[in-house]
Amino acid sequence: MRMGRLAPGFLLAMLAATVAKYCIAQVPARLPGELAWTIGYDPKTFDPAKVDDIDSETVRYLTAGVLLRFNRLTQKLEPRLAESWNLSPDGRTITFKLRGGLRFSDGAALTARDAAWSIQRVLLPAAGAPVAEEFVAPASVHVDAPNSQTVVVRLPQRVAGIGKVFDEIAIEPANRPSEGHVTSGPFYVAEYQRSQFVRLRRNPYYGERDGSGAALPRASGVLLDIVENPEERIRLFSRGESDLIDQLSSEYYEMLRQKAPGSVRDLGPSLNTEQIWFNQAPASPLPAWEEAWFRNQSFRVAVSQAIQRDDLVRLVYLGHATPAYSFISPANADWYNRRLAAPHSDLAAAQDGLRRAGFRMEGTHLLDAAGHPVKFSILTNAGNDARLKMATLIQQDLAAVGMQVNVVTLDFPALIERLMHTQDYEACLLGLENVDVDPNEMMNIWLSSSPNHQWNPAEKTPATAWEAEIDKEMNLQATSQKDAVRKQAVDRVQQIVTDEEPFIYLVYPNVLAAISPRLAGAQPAVIEPELWWNVEDLRLRRTR
Amino acid sequence: MRIRLLPVWLLVALALGASAIVSRPGASYARQDREHPLAGASLTHPAGADALGRDRLVRVSAALLLSLAGALAASALTTAAAAGIGAWAAFAVPGVAWLMMLVCDVFLALPWLFLLMMVRSALPLRASPAHSAVITFLVLAALGWPACARAVYRGALGLKRADWMMQARASGMRGKQLIRQVLPNLLPLLLPQFLVCVPAFVIAEANLGALGLGIGEPLPSWGGMLLELDNSALLFRTQWVYFPVVLLILVLLLLEAILVEA
Repeated sequence: MRMGRLAPGFLLAMLAATVAKYCIAQVPARLPGELAWTIGYDPKTFDPAKVDDIDSETVRYLTAGVLLRFNRLTQKLEPRLAESWNLSPDGRTITFKLRGGLRFSDGAALTARDAAWSIQRVLLPAAGAPVAEEFVAPASVHVDAPNSQTVVVRLPQRVAGIGKVFDEIAIEPANRPSEGHVTSGPFYVAEYQRSQFVRLRRNPYYGERDGSGAALPRASGVLLDIVENPEERIRLFSRGESDLIDQLSSEYYEMLRQKAPGSVRDLGPSLNTEQIWFNQAPASPLPAWEEAWFRNQSFRVAVSQAIQRDDLVRLVYLGHATPAYSFISPANADWYNRRLAAPHSDLAAAQDGLRRAGFRMEGTHLLDAAGHPVKFSILTNAGNDARLKMATLIQQDLAAVGMQVNVVTLDFPALIERLMHTQDYEACLLGLENVDVDPNEMMNIWLSSSPNHQWNPAEKTPATAWEAEIDKEMNLQATSQKDAVRKQAVDRVQQIVTDEEPFIYLVYPNVLAAISPRLAGAQPAVIEPELWWNVEDLRLRRTR
Repeated sequence: MRIRLLPVWLLVALALGASAIVSRPGASYARQDREHPLAGASLTHPAGADALGRDRLVRVSAALLLSLAGALAASALTTAAAAGIGAWAAFAVPGVAWLMMLVCDVFLALPWLFLLMMVRSALPLRASPAHSAVITFLVLAALGWPACARAVYRGALGLKRADWMMQARASGMRGKQLIRQVLPNLLPLLLPQFLVCVPAFVIAEANLGALGLGIGEPLPSWGGMLLELDNSALLFRTQWVYFPVVLLILVLLLLEAILVEA
């Protein structure tokens, strides 16, 4: 704790850190026709079956040849290595027919045997592939290759949105996985320098062609610089050493907009949500009267109505967010319930609702029917500036209805310990990142028996009638073979969640990006990877 | 003499100025002027407003007062604890003294920032912002005494072996009588220890705040305001975000100057 000669030491340390920050970062020279952008950290693995972090996912997406590709713009599946595919009427058998003349990046022929082997590999427990969970019962899935161009996948039960799972399975050479060095996708891993860069080269045997018959991908390669510091990413982009930046913060978006207005894009609401919820778990150590507040629907609705979402959008996201009232974003065109009746921000309605629920004002403080002052804390994770600002704004919004709110920031492990184990918290403000448009991916949040059912985890039986109804509707959408029935079930869940407000949705942060004017072919979408989902079509207008 | 006291007077003047700003009618460190986020300097907001429209001058002034008052109190506590423990160890039997210094060394070897984070995360969530400030400085004081205690121990040990002390003990002085003689003689050692701890606690609180783990909103803290500097996009929008760090460095320089003069 002793800090002799403090101030000069402090200044010197700051100076040294600044010099190091600006001078040490080295960027490798770009090759002709090569695209370049940055990733935050070293990929944990180049094995496409074991990907579970965003940077490994980037490399996998760019290198993996897949049977089907999910078009991020149209939100529809398109054939890739598969010429066609067919789902049986019972939804349990998928038959892929491969294109003829397919080759891996080393020139070896790609057959149905390779595809079957790659699918079987991710299903094996030993592979530990996160994508296996999407098959629900991976151990009971059977994969056959009856001939050199046909792959048949038999599922023990119907799985909603199963086609999209094949967008995540890289087809590799059978029995010789190469960690991205031999691929059937647009690029392969050519060079990796730890903490510096990953260099991908064009797969000369990639069989895709564009509408005019030109071979894809158009770029000669991709250089992924490993840059942790967001400011360094901005600097590289401004210097023309990086062609794009995804997931820009609103502050950096505004800064770049002033410097180079043509390079930034606000793509509208993302699939992600920021929300606040109250702890309703019976196992929590909260006093009984607080549990009663948090289980009271009128209380939750009043809190939702008192929150000025427009201010959150304007002050925290500088206008680059959209007020949220549902767990499905309007960006999710197929699943968003456009007829949702949501209780919008309305202070008078909030006060009225609280009064009807038995709360009363005493001076500037709100008291419950038993005279307990309404006072609670909102927990959020330390280091997230946007969440801290939102919590501080909400603190003042709720003061207007007499609620005294403490804002508490904790480091993430301490936060998770409280949320998942001790359940010693009152309210929490966090976000949820949705990478998939299909609501089936959110089963783990909405089923009352799930440990991720945050407001009341792992219920033995649904605690309320509306939670039982959510269970029923979510199970219906997961098992129904009719899209209309699924849509109706998900619409109903959205309405229940909006009425009951177990999660009080705040905003959908917008997707903000920067794209160099030199980059041609970009068709940004709101679904990850937003900017380079069509990497085959990307090219530089002028080779340096 | 006056020149030597100049840093003290400057620091007092800063604190008085900050008190005047904070206690000005209508001044509030929490009020959000949501229509004017990141406003530039004006008559209403002489140092502009932060991203939530809160007056930066009032917030910086309140943070200065809070930080100085908290650091002074924590330093007084930690110095008093160190004086008691160090003097006790010096006059205790050798085995007890060894054990006490071992405890000091163990405390010194602890990664104090992580310890602070652990202690902070275990605190009750319902603590009000004012309580969180008190708790933060109490935790700093509780973790800050070992280095000081070691120094006091060495000083008290020297006193114990001094000729006049030998003579006093030989004359039959014991217990409280001895302590009454020892403590005034430790003051030249305790004062620098106290002055060293003050800037250390100011920095420690700012570090915790910069990690988002210090004093709760809406109370302002230096660390919380320094967080703005982490975002170069914000620097691009207003130069007033440098104001807290400039004032922090000024306060640290003054505390350093006072320490040197002492």
